[in-house]
Amino acid sequence: MTRNDFLSVVPLFILTSAAILIMFSIAVKRNHKVIYIITLLSLLADFVYVVANMAGTRHELEPLFVIDGFGVFYIGLILLTSLLVTMMSYAYFEQREERKEEYYILLILATLGSVVLVISKHFVSLFLGLEILSVALYAMIAYLRKRERSDEAGIKYLILAAFSSAFLLFGMALVYVTTGTMSFEGMAQYLATVQGLPFMMVAGLGMMVVGMGFKLSVVPFHMWAADVYEGAPAPVTAFIATVSKGGMVGLLVRFFDTLHAQQYPVLVLIFTCIAITSMLAGNFLALRQNNVKRVLAYSSISHMGYLLVAFIAGDAMGTEAVTFYLVAYFVTTLGAFGILATLSDTERDAEVMDDYRGLLWRRPWTAAIFTAMLLSLAGIPLTAGFVGKFYVIAAGVHTQQWLLVVMLAVNSVVGLYYYIRIIAVMFEQPQRDSDQPHMLHPVAYIISGFTMAILTVSLIWLGVFPAGLMGIIKGLL
Amino acid sequence: METVPVESGLLLAGVLFMLGLISVLIRRNIIFMLISVEIMLNAAGLAFIVAGSRWAQADGQVMFIFILTMAAAEVSVGLALILQIYHQLKTLDGDMASKMKG
Repeated sequence: MTRNDFLSVVPLFILTSAAILIMFSIAVKRNHKVIYIITLLSLLADFVYVVANMAGTRHELEPLFVIDGFGVFYIGLILLTSLLVTMMSYAYFEQREERKEEYYILLILATLGSVVLVISKHFVSLFLGLEILSVALYAMIAYLRKRERSDEAGIKYLILAAFSSAFLLFGMALVYVTTGTMSFEGMAQYLATVQGLPFMMVAGLGMMVVGMGFKLSVVPFHMWAADVYEGAPAPVTAFIATVSKGGMVGLLVRFFDTLHAQQYPVLVLIFTCIAITSMLAGNFLALRQNNVKRVLAYSSISHMGYLLVAFIAGDAMGTEAVTFYLVAYFVTTLGAFGILATLSDTERDAEVMDDYRGLLWRRPWTAAIFTAMLLSLAGIPLTAGFVGKFYVIAAGVHTQQWLLVVMLAVNSVVGLYYYIRIIAVMFEQPQRDSDQPHMLHPVAYIISGFTMAILTVSLIWLGVFPAGLMGIIKGLL
Repeated sequence: METVPVESGLLLAGVLFMLGLISVLIRRNIIFMLISVEIMLNAAGLAFIVAGSRWAQADGQVMFIFILTMAAAEVSVGLALILQIYHQLKTLDGDMASKMKG
């Protein structure tokens, strides 16, 4: 391993050593505050390292990893998201009685898995990254052991994730038996020598799409989403909705762009069907829900459908649109689940509509931020969600995907209904004053408030001045 | 020595995979569902070994070892969760344990 090789995987080393350090620190003494600070500092140090040293370089670590502009941007995004999830976790877990320290080890390991996914260029690193992410997530979902629904959510996710991993692996084996290589570039070279797609390759890629689609929770692999979102603790739900999906989107774009998948009609057809059914099913199922977490779960299914529109468009513009949309979606989702986490009490998460009735009159700032997040999810102008959707539509129009663009526009209107419904509930007059909840140390609230403030500012900043972020994305990709 | 043709190896792996798939879908006991998923994973591992032998590379076998390791990690977490569910609900029936609907 040369010095350059070593320097380019320092972000992975920082994460692994942070996990080991926390494990030792728990062995010496359990202290939630210390563990929390170690986690924050290591994620922050990792992010600073990536931004300061790695932008603009391209380094290949044969045969497993490639660290290019795309990878660096996604690593930075994932680390920043994990940092924000950590920040909103403290107040949430501090008020619960279970042992809270191991949560941070799992969080860091899951982040590591996601980072490995976005820089992998070989089936082995793809598989390892995916499984590090998944196994850590099983434990995170079922972390609050005393809650009835968390075990159920954990085992459902475990069985379905293992099920979809088996599909992914079988698909990889079929691709390997056809091409004789497990690196993405080797496959692209093989495909350049043959006419069209061989049958085995179609079967293999189709089975791989099952495995990838599961992580993205697109229809028809979405069955787990609502139950897991409902059963998992709110910060973990935020993590699944952002980091886990973001890692998989990064991998999907890299894998299928290397293979030039957009030139094969059969693959485009598969992705078009997935995108359209995800948009429709996500939005129409969300209409029937009364649980806010389930509404957000179905809304995330439809958002992944929107994102696939830009992915199908495929060229440089499509990749930029995917990346921008992902950033906007991350900011918004983190904000929405952050509000959910701050409103949760010691017994349960704030997830039923009644928890939000008259919120505007009780806690005006919280209600205002939640309203902004919901409007951004709906894609109202001056928010990040609108600009993201605009870029996606532009990418779709650019490649003449008219059917997809029309479906996207229609679905945005349907989506507006259930977001507005939650906002309307918040604006109602409250019937009774709820009792004052148990108070924590004020610092915990300051951290949560600070996190929410960052997210709101970046939401509006991205909505009003999207050129700054777009410039960074264009410069790096 | 006569070698087994690639097609028969893949066919065997495919049949195993389908058996596992069908059994996940029809079994209601959570432990049996876990076992069926393991069968599917091992079928994928077998397919990798067949593919590796076709190209005379060690990659397929390396991948198989990774799959074994991952399956072991998964089962240990899974069994821990199953114990927890049994303590709470006194049943391992997947339908009985499923409370969330919608």
